[in-house]
Amino acid sequence: MEHVNNRSEDRETRAVLALASTPDIPGAAMDRLMARIAAEPQAAKVVAFTTRPARKAGFWRFATAVPLAASLALGVWLGANGKMDFIMPSAITGGVALNDDGEVDDLGGVGDAYAEAGTT
Amino acid sequence: MTDAGLLKAAAAGSHAAFAEIASRHYQPVYRLAWRMTNGAADAEDMAQEAFVKLWKNPSQVREAGALKGWLMRVAANAVIDRSRKPRSGALDDAPEVEDPQARPDAPLDRAQAARLVDARIAALPERQRLALSLVYFEGLNNIEAAAVLEVSVDALESLLARARRGLKDSLSAEWRELLGGLAETGQ
Repeated sequence: MEHVNNRSEDRETRAVLALASTPDIPGAAMDRLMARIAAEPQAAKVVAFTTRPARKAGFWRFATAVPLAASLALGVWLGANGKMDFIMPSAITGGVALNDDGEVDDLGGVGDAYAEAGTT
Repeated sequence: MTDAGLLKAAAAGSHAAFAEIASRHYQPVYRLAWRMTNGAADAEDMAQEAFVKLWKNPSQVREAGALKGWLMRVAANAVIDRSRKPRSGALDDAPEVEDPQARPDAPLDRAQAARLVDARIAALPERQRLALSLVYFEGLNNIEAAAVLEVSVDALESLLARARRGLKDSLSAEWRELLGGLAETGQ
């Protein structure tokens, strides 16, 4: 129903607006426009920056990863074989860290305290 | 030559190509400016403004097929900017379109009817007037008109509905008489 009303409203509006004035283009308006255009400089041409072509990812792109990976592998190997244990604190490499069942004589200050109290 | 070709040539500095663009599109742009300025003398300046802006940088029109709509949008914006600027004198604020005195006892002749309708269109809010002008006077479809107004089609239809209602309300006393011509021609 609303659609029908809109259509009839549209038709009536069109009929009423047909009675409105239609402007005449002023004489020589085009000449005035072109005279103004002749006096107006065009904007400077804007040259867009061309984007630098993306560099192809070559083999050497990963070169920096090689020494890092080698360093990691060496560290794992040395750690696994205990080659560098002598520079590690005993808390890391000693019997406690290794969870030995044998007597632990390396309790540091805690062991000394027990010994003094005669509790061991 | 197509608008796209003319725009390309104009961008290269061809005055002849630009003159062809102007001859194709000046009339609708001028009519819109005239309607939007309520027939003010500076409608020509507003229309010129759109073409000068185009001339300065033709490549800003992305789609050559939408050139007419682009010119209309620039002209309409120029008119809207003009209406928002503070005016130099109170006389400038007076509507340019003459509002005929109501003469309830005398039938309207064609010239009076035209002045009356012009005056009532001039009294509509700016955006409603623009929507009405684009669709009813310049024959743009709703999608094209919405693009000129930079609104959705729904928003345009809402503007048109309000414009139609506003026009009918303001002409309520004369509406039947104005439609009389319609009845006579059997439309």
